[in-house]
Amino acid sequence: MQLDVAFLIDWGSAAIRLATPLVLAAVGGVYAERSGVFNIGIEGMMLSGAFVAVAVSYFLGAADPAVASLCAAIAAMLAGGGMAFVHAYLSITRRADQIISGAAINILALGLTNTLYRVVWGSAGRERVAGFPTIRIPILADIPVLGPILFDHSLIVYVAYVLPFIAAFVLFRTTWGLNIRAAGDFPLAVDTAGLSVTVTRYVAVVFSGMMAGLGGAALALGAVRYFTPGMTAGRGFIVLGAIVFGRWNPILASFACLLFGAADALQLRAQALSIGIPYQFLVMLPYLLAVLAIAGAIGRSSPPLALGRPYRRGER
Amino acid sequence: MAIGRGYSLRQMLRTAAYRAVTPVLSVFLAFLVSAAIIIAVGTDPIVAFGSMLNGAFGSQTALATTGVRMTPILFTGLAVAVSFRAGIFNVGAEGQLYLGAAFGAAVALLPIGLPAFIHIPLALIAGFIGGAAWAFVPGYLRAYRGVSEVVTTLMLNFVAIQLVSYLVDPLVGPIGERGAAYAQSAVIDPAAKLPILLRGTSLHAGLILGLALAVALWILIGYTRLGFRMRMLGANPIAARFAGVKSAREIMTVMLLSGGIAGLAGAVEVIGLRYRLFDHFSPGYGYDGIAVALLANSNPLGVILSSGFFAALRAGANSMQQATGIETSVVLIIQALTILFLIFRPLRDWIGSRAGRPPRLAQDSLIDAA
Amino acid sequence: MEDGRHQTPELLRMDRITKSFGPLLADDAVTLDVRVGEIHALLGENGAGKSTLMKVLYGLHQPDSGEIWLDGRQITIGSPHEAVAHGIGMVHQQFMLVPNLTATENVILGMRAERRPMLDLAAARKRLVELAREYDLGVDPDAPVWQMSLGGQQRLEILKALFRGARLLVLDEPTAVLAPSEVGGLFRIMRQLASEGRGIVFISHKLSEVTEVSDHVTVLRLGRVTGTLPTREATAHTLATMMVGREISLARTTAPVVGTDTVLEISGVHCVTDRGTPGLTGVDLVVRKGEILGIAGVDGNGQRELVECIAGLRPVTAGTILVEGRPPSSALREPGLLGLVPEDRYEQGLIGDFDVSENLVLRAYQRPPYSTNGFLRWGRIRDNATQRIAAFDIRCPGPLAPVRSLSGGNQQKVVIARETQDDPALIVASQPTRGLDVGAVESVLNLLRQQRDRGAAVVFVSTELSEVLALSDRVVVMHKGEVMGEVPPDPAALGRIGEMMMGRSLESIDAGAVA
Repeated sequence: MQLDVAFLIDWGSAAIRLATPLVLAAVGGVYAERSGVFNIGIEGMMLSGAFVAVAVSYFLGAADPAVASLCAAIAAMLAGGGMAFVHAYLSITRRADQIISGAAINILALGLTNTLYRVVWGSAGRERVAGFPTIRIPILADIPVLGPILFDHSLIVYVAYVLPFIAAFVLFRTTWGLNIRAAGDFPLAVDTAGLSVTVTRYVAVVFSGMMAGLGGAALALGAVRYFTPGMTAGRGFIVLGAIVFGRWNPILASFACLLFGAADALQLRAQALSIGIPYQFLVMLPYLLAVLAIAGAIGRSSPPLALGRPYRRGER
Repeated sequence: MAIGRGYSLRQMLRTAAYRAVTPVLSVFLAFLVSAAIIIAVGTDPIVAFGSMLNGAFGSQTALATTGVRMTPILFTGLAVAVSFRAGIFNVGAEGQLYLGAAFGAAVALLPIGLPAFIHIPLALIAGFIGGAAWAFVPGYLRAYRGVSEVVTTLMLNFVAIQLVSYLVDPLVGPIGERGAAYAQSAVIDPAAKLPILLRGTSLHAGLILGLALAVALWILIGYTRLGFRMRMLGANPIAARFAGVKSAREIMTVMLLSGGIAGLAGAVEVIGLRYRLFDHFSPGYGYDGIAVALLANSNPLGVILSSGFFAALRAGANSMQQATGIETSVVLIIQALTILFLIFRPLRDWIGSRAGRPPRLAQDSLIDAA
Repeated sequence: MEDGRHQTPELLRMDRITKSFGPLLADDAVTLDVRVGEIHALLGENGAGKSTLMKVLYGLHQPDSGEIWLDGRQITIGSPHEAVAHGIGMVHQQFMLVPNLTATENVILGMRAERRPMLDLAAARKRLVELAREYDLGVDPDAPVWQMSLGGQQRLEILKALFRGARLLVLDEPTAVLAPSEVGGLFRIMRQLASEGRGIVFISHKLSEVTEVSDHVTVLRLGRVTGTLPTREATAHTLATMMVGREISLARTTAPVVGTDTVLEISGVHCVTDRGTPGLTGVDLVVRKGEILGIAGVDGNGQRELVECIAGLRPVTAGTILVEGRPPSSALREPGLLGLVPEDRYEQGLIGDFDVSENLVLRAYQRPPYSTNGFLRWGRIRDNATQRIAAFDIRCPGPLAPVRSLSGGNQQKVVIARETQDDPALIVASQPTRGLDVGAVESVLNLLRQQRDRGAAVVFVSTELSEVLALSDRVVVMHKGEVMGEVPPDPAALGRIGEMMMGRSLESIDAGAVA
């Protein structure tokens, strides 16, 4: 393999494809953390979403692929949202420790998906199901180099293009977004303003679960079109790093995800490319960047002030 | 940690019983829900759990298997419990475990012809150092910069896994075995291998080490000055400061200790069970350690019980699968549900009202304080 | 003299408001009557019931009995939202501002937007700027709150209230966060707002400010109104008397031992508070063996910072502190130097989850006989506890009882028993009687006296003037981070103490100025 234009297109396209699940989950994760709740369970919610998406698509096999994938996406969001609701209940209403709650959900998701995977497909193994329809945008896709990289993808990728901007708009320009940002920074002010910290946080957390679920659907149905046990393989944790790296801004976090996707795509090609860097170092790069970001070595990284702390009225 | 403190036997037993109720009840409920899932999938849960029990304890081989599985999570459970006691969230046991395995393997691979009673301790010390070294940066950031240790240790887990993957890479890894089918190191020096406890099984002396470590940590936390400081920090860091405790130094100490113990977990796995350093050799022992520590309420002796319990689950899962076809992953569901029920507070409150509130010994649980 | 006021329409009347929290009676039939256009000061020490009363007004608590009348109509206030709807605006001591949001965003948080859910940032910003200009309340509408000075944040809080159309404005200890130069600006705004027909409730415990800016004063003490009168009729002395807690009934005992050895030496010390404002602004103090120095003064004038600096818990930015010739960093670590009874006994002085015996050795556990070779000697620790419990008459089930189950007074005894164990040369007790009943107060004060008799130097910081006078051998008053002067502990000095608490230096008082 040479380092030429063909490689560039291949790499760029893969980067976008690999980044898409991350972007979707990261946008949700930003909302949850902005509202003050740490969602470490994104990994489990993505995995659940991936499984449910493939399962639904499988059972709707005969239907029109567009319809099937749409149902799959919705089901994935419900699955992720459902798990997030449990996390929200434990973290917000019960004020349990958010790390533990999220970690338990990850284990639960792994156990449930592995078990149900065998139940649905037995040892038949992988069967390809209908995925998201691929759409090649005319004219735009004809632009040299950038065209094929950006505009020849499955539908879900285009969703990921648009979502961060919509999410940023809502977060910074609407009352809902304002409430979320206030709840994560100084919930007492929200309470005193007559708004419900609890409802705000629930909504943000459930939304993050839905987005994580959709991200899982993107992972499973975007390219490979089947489910493998444990297929998220730690992506949910990279998303946490992207959130920090992107300073809790949906658009910046998405760019971080793009960066991580590029690194992921590169490491898959590194061996064939023989660039001399063992691929493992490319795989660990996103995590190292996240550590550097949180350590303050890369720019000022200031989390929402009330992140991780349950709110109780009457506490000073 | 109540022995020798002056409590009456009756008091101690009552409180032990009180403290055991919530974990036991959580486990019970978890099994109950899992039974429902098993029924939904079309199997008799009694048969399923029965075969699980058999697979865990039913024969010498079964016991040995349980023991083998128990060893690594005993160590990681202790590592996490130690950090929890001081109010620190070390979720990086997985990465520290890998580094400990790498350091331990490096020493164990040295063909220097040392006798076992020197080579083994050297490998173990190396493992401890490896794990501690990996905990150093997150510890420093938390102690001196106030950066939360959760995200830093979590991210470093993945870095560690990749690092080890590189080390044993068959093409470029410094200790990777060239031309091997798997990414692995060479076999370690025979003198560095831990003795087998039960002939014909894989049960190795690492378990004994773990048990000894648990007792040692129990003594450390409950009966030494360092342990007292750790508990002060975990219970009320503000008052600790007013009493003259230098929190930065304590946090570093605890993180290094915790990381070192997790490192031992990895080293013991290498020299006790696998005799090589493998790529991705841990199925999540570090994370299991969190569950183990929680279920044991961060008490080192309790960790023995809870690690045994989780190990039994895993060991029994295989025979359950063989007997009934139920996936081993059901065990993960049980594990997760146990934790979820554990942190579900009304459960504790309900128990409290039923149990008639026996005399509360000081230092009730970490979970209460959350 | 009251006639003018009677004719002014009544804006707010809180009528015989009673509120208790369990056994604690916070407000006992308190009546507050605010007229239109009036700046009404609510005066009282900490724990007098001012904040509870205002929380009732703001809908955060419901009164057990009593009524609230607004513009002559009885209303109920069920939540802060309702309070705002009634035109009540509150500027809390702790600002209700979200640090990472801009000024404009903070102002519109919780308000119904015209085109929901879109934020009307542009319109709000415009209105905010207009209001700011109208009242000369300089605020950058686009700056995030964390970048603003405390004075700026306070102006923003006021603007927030005005933005919502507040007719009654409650300011809770507003000058606590202001530099002296900013206080004048605040008073100007208050007068302007009042002249426009609003009512202002000004909560304070600073006599000087109350006399300067308010029209009418209501004084609370221990949940009851002890006086309400036009400000022009009030003097520092009458106000101080109304505010002072318990009667000076504790008789003085032994005459002080006049030692000559200096234990605590503080020279020219400056430090900064957590918020970044000046904490200590040049403190000089000397305390000798066998004497009790009482530090009086309204809370928040640097006492807390002084205690922390002495103990080595807060860095000193200028000047020196020496405890028996040693620097403050050694104070808590070397035995026999300092015994510290902190202000918040449960958060700072005790570990609730630990038992009594453990709490008694929080500072000594590292040394023999409590530990040898790194191991704790629980038997010795327990014996020590049994001994100390008996010596200090600590009521508890035993040395192994969790300390959180003890009453406040007994908890305090545990702290004192621990801190006096090594017979330290210096004892610093910060608000040691706060929240204690009369009997417990008596015990604590006696314990401190015993320490003094043993030969320790004792620094006693308290807002309870009666106790300061009863206990101390010398009394100094702190105001805005410095010592205003020293007086003997004579009840007759109450007037001079009051003046010093208001900020006048002893020299100027003695120079013949009128009280």
